[in-house]
Amino acid sequence: MASMRARNKIRAPRRSHASTPTEDFDAIWKILASSLSGIHTKNASSLSFEELYRNAYRIVTMSRGLELYERVKALEKDWLHNHVRSQVTDSILPILLRAENGPDRGMPVQEQSNERRAAAERFLSVLKETWQDHLVCMGMITDVLMYMDRTVSGDRSNPSIFVVSMALFRDNVLRVPVRPDLSITVEHVLHSTILFLVQLERDGHMIDRPLIRHCVSMLEGLYETVMEEETSRLYITTFEPLFLNASQDFYRAEGAQLLEEGDATTFCRQALKRIGEEQERCNVTLSASTEPKINQVIDKELILPNIGEVVRMDGTGVRHMLDQKQLDSLRDLYTLNARVDEKKSVLTQELSNRIIELGHEINTMSLAPPPPPPPPPAASGPTQNGDQATPENGKRSKDPKKEKNAEKEKTVNTQTASAIKWVDEILALKRQIDNVWLHSFKSDQTLHKSIDDSFGEFINRNTRSSEFLSLFFDENLKKGIKGKTEDEVDTLLDNGILLLRYIKDKDLFETYYKKHLARRLLMKKSASMDAERQMISKMKMEVGNQFTQRIESMFRDMAISQDLTTSYKRHMSQTNAADDDRPDLEVHVLTSTMWPMDVMGKNKNKAEAPPCVYPQQIKTLKESFERFYLDKHSGRQLSWQAAMGSADIRAKFVRSNGKVQRYELNVSTYMMVILLLFNEIADGETLTFTQIQEQTQIPENDLIRNLQSLAVAPKTRVLKKVPMSKDVKPTDRFSFNHEFQSPFVKVRIGVVAGNANKVESRGQREETEKKLNEERRHIIEAAVVRIMKQRKRLTHLNLMNEVLAQLTSRFVPDVKMVKQRIDSLIDREYLERLGDEASTYVYLA
Amino acid sequence: MAERTILRKDQLEISLHNEKKLIKEGTIKDDNPLDLSEPFRELCSACRRGDLKVCQEKITEGVNVNARDSYDYTPLILASLCGHYEVAQLLLESGALCERDTFQGERCLYNALNDRIRNLLLEYDYSKSTDPLQPLAAHVASLLTRENPSTTDITISVVDQDIALHKFILAARSPYFQSKLAATPEISTWKLPSTIPPEAFATAIRYLYLGEAPRELRSGPGTGFTETEVFTGIDKIAKQLELESLTESLLESGDRRRARQRRATELSKGRDQLESWFRKKVLGNKLTVKTSQVNEIKWNRSNSIFADVLLRADELSNEEVGVQEASPRSVLFPCHRAMLLRSEFFQTMFTSSFREAQVTDYLHIISVDCAPDVLEIILTFLYTERAEFPLDVAVDVLFVADMLFIEKLKTKAAVVISTLGSGVSQAEAARTRGIQDEDDIDIYAIIRAAWMTRVQRLEEFAARFLAYRLEAHIDSPEFAQLIEESANRIQARQETDSIELLDDIRFYLNERFRKRFDDAGLDELMDEQQQPPAATDEGEVLAEGVDKITEGVQAIDAASTGSEAGVPIAKTQASHNHTREIRTLDGALVEDEFEQDAMNYQILLEKLDALLERLNLEA
Repeated sequence: MASMRARNKIRAPRRSHASTPTEDFDAIWKILASSLSGIHTKNASSLSFEELYRNAYRIVTMSRGLELYERVKALEKDWLHNHVRSQVTDSILPILLRAENGPDRGMPVQEQSNERRAAAERFLSVLKETWQDHLVCMGMITDVLMYMDRTVSGDRSNPSIFVVSMALFRDNVLRVPVRPDLSITVEHVLHSTILFLVQLERDGHMIDRPLIRHCVSMLEGLYETVMEEETSRLYITTFEPLFLNASQDFYRAEGAQLLEEGDATTFCRQALKRIGEEQERCNVTLSASTEPKINQVIDKELILPNIGEVVRMDGTGVRHMLDQKQLDSLRDLYTLNARVDEKKSVLTQELSNRIIELGHEINTMSLAPPPPPPPPPAASGPTQNGDQATPENGKRSKDPKKEKNAEKEKTVNTQTASAIKWVDEILALKRQIDNVWLHSFKSDQTLHKSIDDSFGEFINRNTRSSEFLSLFFDENLKKGIKGKTEDEVDTLLDNGILLLRYIKDKDLFETYYKKHLARRLLMKKSASMDAERQMISKMKMEVGNQFTQRIESMFRDMAISQDLTTSYKRHMSQTNAADDDRPDLEVHVLTSTMWPMDVMGKNKNKAEAPPCVYPQQIKTLKESFERFYLDKHSGRQLSWQAAMGSADIRAKFVRSNGKVQRYELNVSTYMMVILLLFNEIADGETLTFTQIQEQTQIPENDLIRNLQSLAVAPKTRVLKKVPMSKDVKPTDRFSFNHEFQSPFVKVRIGVVAGNANKVESRGQREETEKKLNEERRHIIEAAVVRIMKQRKRLTHLNLMNEVLAQLTSRFVPDVKMVKQRIDSLIDREYLERLGDEASTYVYLA
Repeated sequence: MAERTILRKDQLEISLHNEKKLIKEGTIKDDNPLDLSEPFRELCSACRRGDLKVCQEKITEGVNVNARDSYDYTPLILASLCGHYEVAQLLLESGALCERDTFQGERCLYNALNDRIRNLLLEYDYSKSTDPLQPLAAHVASLLTRENPSTTDITISVVDQDIALHKFILAARSPYFQSKLAATPEISTWKLPSTIPPEAFATAIRYLYLGEAPRELRSGPGTGFTETEVFTGIDKIAKQLELESLTESLLESGDRRRARQRRATELSKGRDQLESWFRKKVLGNKLTVKTSQVNEIKWNRSNSIFADVLLRADELSNEEVGVQEASPRSVLFPCHRAMLLRSEFFQTMFTSSFREAQVTDYLHIISVDCAPDVLEIILTFLYTERAEFPLDVAVDVLFVADMLFIEKLKTKAAVVISTLGSGVSQAEAARTRGIQDEDDIDIYAIIRAAWMTRVQRLEEFAARFLAYRLEAHIDSPEFAQLIEESANRIQARQETDSIELLDDIRFYLNERFRKRFDDAGLDELMDEQQQPPAATDEGEVLAEGVDKITEGVQAIDAASTGSEAGVPIAKTQASHNHTREIRTLDGALVEDEFEQDAMNYQILLEKLDALLERLNLEA
């Protein structure tokens, strides 16, 4: 045990650290002091780090670290005061002081600038050198005094020697008067010098940026306090505010001057250039931390007060740029506006105004009252036919009809044309604006919304937009898409859908679309069923399921009918195979609620027209089918729509020379009925109009149209009419035309076009609207009841809001109408006003 | 913190079983191997007793602190179970593992006697504690990228890349380089054949520099080499440079635990290589010369051990013997700046622009203000992370480590002093109180050293040391002077400021006596008037804690002198009467040791107060 202890006995520390003889403190300090001076005079490479460190260490271990600390501080102060300061102050030439004395901002820089600039650069480079020397020296001194720093400033609240020396530099070099007799300090001169150089650069001169950067980084490296908080950097406390002030004045003046020049494009370009310059200045010359602040100054002084005026500037503003498609200028403008206003309200406003204005022009052009016909004003080529659609027009446009009948398939009604033109123009405008939006407005969402709103606004201002759009689809699905690739069709439909999005009264559109669709389907005018289906699915995506439900069921009916026809055929061949004479039958069984019945000619005279009298042959066929169908589906009622059908018949024409010419005629059901009448009479005999009407019971209107096709149209004159005239009068007599000639074996005899695919006349439109309103009434009532059933009790305001919210996807209900419906519901005791609160409704179960 | 899922018992057993199987197969090492050796048994028993000194000795001897005894106890579990905070701390600092989610780790935590120990264990959870060799490895690896100051002395070019490297590391780690460099020590550039993919070479270099194995190798398009080529390249290089385990360690980076063990093995192997090289080359080439002739030593830059700096330590003229030898001697160690950089002192020196950082023809001789043997310890630590040294140089090491800014070594020195220095266990100290113990150490010097080097741990140690032997020191003028010094350490001292040292002593004094009261079941006596102070559990000397204790002390005072309730009256009075006698006449006069303790405690406190008055200090 004893030996162990002896071994373990702690050896006395090599030097009695605590009690080093204190008398050599001064000696050690002397060595240290001269070495530290050596560092300042750049003799460091000959000094030994180890020796210096050891000396400092020894002083600290004598417990006199604090003393050392103070002495070093004094030494540094002395050095800065006696050597460095004069170096700096000597480099300040009088010209810099002169500038400092008088507020020189207004003074013309030119003549003095060169001289002053030389002086400025000299001063800055001396300062920069001084600062760098100081940094290097203090770095080395701090290294040497590492141990002292740790004990003296680590334990107690003394700042490290490096920090202290920085503060000393601040107080003894920067914040001393330039001349003993002046109150201007070096710091002041430094600030004004940098500002002067910045101003030079703004005026387009080249300056020594790295030099300024060095001086700025000096200001950034110095703090107001020894605590060195981020915010107490000299740069932030002294220079930055001055710089921002100067910039403020500068940009205010520049803004005013640019505005005076009165060119929006120039303004934008200049402003953006300034922004770029300031950004570069902050990153290269000054401090990056200033960038947001100087940006604020630019925004506040240059952009914000002027942007409104620039946007509206006459002849160069947004309007001009849009018209001239100046995408770059628009982009500049957008960038500027976006800087100061998140909503870009000035630009948005102006843009939206312009769009509505342009849209308005399109509206007025297409809505110009049906022009007095020849010559058609908005004519886009050959038009004019089927004026029967608009009876008030019909009489006047009789004359050109003769020549143009040949072009029947290609022509379109003026108004239809203008409807399509309307759509095309809107689409063109939309494309143009979208292009601007994409390229100039960085696909900005706010602007997108405002563009949409503007489009919606003017489109809905056109009361016939729904009809026009449906016509557009109709036209394209019938003819437009022929010979187009799938992609083209797709874009075409997409464009249409785009407009559909803007239309508020979607139910109106639906009505029209259904009407047009029914025609296309029944008359087999649709160019491509694929395109139709595509259209439906697009609408479904855009507007929703509910909207397309009925349209889809129309398609379903068509499909079912096809099956029905084939199964009927099979049935017939099984039961009485022998009967070859029996005509083929193709039926479309339509669900009456889903199809627009007015298309089928029911609306004209509300009284059920007496059914057409079919010839015996057809009648048997009809009855046979009815039996077949009702066998399958009992309890249903079939009503035949002869007006919508068509028939293929083979006709024999005996020429006067005895030759027999056969043609296959494709005619409407009515025509077939009429023609079959002539089978019953002998050749050469005639039937009068009245006779025909009596025998067939075809409604007069339809009869006239069918006879016109058969007897008047030059290419399909199967009947001869006496007298030969355009009109069909009750007294006219008809006979079979054996001399009928046609270059083709198959002849299609179209009924003179009905009114469905044309723009409606005013009367029809009123009709449509009336029906629509009726429908809407039901929808509104349904909505009100639905809501009240769920809520039981609701205030008027809330109820209105909910109703509006539910219905807007279909149409925008008229507030008055909703009120009426509510009243009506109260009358019918669905609802009740709450006794004392008149504005609250209660649902009555 | 990620959600911890608790394993069911069967799952736990399965995983334990799997682990055992793997261990048997030799795939992974047992973290806690069974150890039945005598030294380990002694360590375990020291952990039970809380004998710091023996623990430290055994750890220094190299006993595996993570082994387990025949009852599956690891030293850490024992220390934690028996509530020896200091021992547990020592074990953790020496690399004992306490990892959550392991069987042994959870046992430690579960068994911890109190929250203080539990928290200590959690602090050292594996995720935080790293391999003790990690700092060394990190430093060596960082040399690859460190640019300032430049310490490299050879540039190897592979294809179009130049890699700046250190000859001494290459030589130490690779036998191939060793022989190559031995042949041409002055070489400064080296070109590798272009068939070797740079990525392969870089991987090998990273391995040599103790870096972590790369997670994945860069290969494929763009690098000009396929994966296979890179692997073949690595394989080839590994063979050429004689690095058997390089490829293995690359392939084994999958399993986390295995990768960790592999890394630990690699590190310790790397360290051993560095160490043997260091001992052979650096220590083997140290020069002993007369101090007066030191400056005549000229070492060329291209020397066989690639040293780029010479460190000098002067031998002390042997005062003790009193024989003034003709001339003092100095020892020079050829060193590498790359390794010295681990000390902030040297780093600053070599980064600065002073003389030492200039490149000259001959190596700089930098003197370090300490004895050669201490410098050797310092260098050993810097090169190998080993810090094993006897108590007798510990204070010296402490000072030099402080001077050279080597925090870890400082801590290590403090640990050595506070564990080995605690000498006889506390119980022993208490029993031998009153007898002038021949101390191993000069506690006054140590406490001053602690102040000077700002080592809190040593201050606490010294206070505890003094508290347990207060009767031996209380009357000495040196002690009074120490208290005064402590008081003066606080600048601008206020009336209300306490004296740190005194507070510490009071705290430990209370700990010393309260323990004995507890043992005797006398705490009932204290319970009557107050709660037992909780300060010991908090581990910190809180001012309030001290106040409470003082209150408690007065309460005891009152109980033992005045109050008669609940205390055996006769005894109390008897001891009261004999107070003086006990003090002066030694323990023999009193039959009851507890009484004696109570009295002694009282007396010591009074003496402290008296001392303060004498020094005109309020506390």
